[in-house]
Amino acid sequence: MVLLLAALSFCGCKAKAPTTAETRLMWGMKHKVLIGNKKLRNPLQASSLTIAEGKEAFSHYCIACHGLDGQNTGVPFADRMAPPVPSLASDEVQQYTDGQLKAVIDDGVWPSGMPASKGILSDDEIWSIVVFLRHLPKPGSLGEPEMYSH
Amino acid sequence: MKIRHAVTIVFAVVCACGLGSQLSGIPSVDPRRVEITAKRFSFDPGVVTLKKGEPVVLVLKSNDVPHGIRVRELGLDVKVSKGGSAEARFTPNQVGDFVGHCSVFCGAGHGSMSIAFHVVN
Repeated sequence: MVLLLAALSFCGCKAKAPTTAETRLMWGMKHKVLIGNKKLRNPLQASSLTIAEGKEAFSHYCIACHGLDGQNTGVPFADRMAPPVPSLASDEVQQYTDGQLKAVIDDGVWPSGMPASKGILSDDEIWSIVVFLRHLPKPGSLGEPEMYSH
Repeated sequence: MKIRHAVTIVFAVVCACGLGSQLSGIPSVDPRRVEITAKRFSFDPGVVTLKKGEPVVLVLKSNDVPHGIRVRELGLDVKVSKGGSAEARFTPNQVGDFVGHCSVFCGAGHGSMSIAFHVVN
């Protein structure tokens, strides 16, 4: 406890980039232990309609942190959070199963800035977002969120 | 011969008129009108019972912000603007219970804003 307090007194509460060891540890913990629903299947088939519906649902508020393209385009603080906001096209995210992505959106992720969306978005919308995440557009192709253009 | 042709033509016309009047007498199936009011974060009524094969005109009214209803299985997708009214026509072609959700993001309780459709024979 004393050591923890001493460490905190040196580090404070600053948001700083995680070390490589922290990143690896958390990757393993999240992918293999903490985030469930690994075997849950997406009831929605990927089609131009469901991708468009997912894109629309994603645009409600996910874009504030992830950008319109899910790759942080135009999000000024994306790399200043601890941990930084990951690109949703990255292996780190794409290696989750569909069920795990649903769990991440439903329940959020601690420790990170990812909030829980269960109840704010319907199951149908969340599954459509998972479809969209598997079919992200090219980075930057959708521009940046309007909120950051003013 | 001419008289025979004339009789045939007159007979055909009479038959056609008769058939026409009979056809016009067939009652058309009027669509059932269902009115639903949406407000943050519920639909009123929250449960609607429909008949399979019976055409429906669904009227969605909003008491506040934009809302919508989407039910994939019923081919229903309607959106209404703030304080406005919108119509959608559809015919349920399968029996069962179907849950629709608000399809226009309307705030913190949006994800739990749902409506149930019971389709019976």
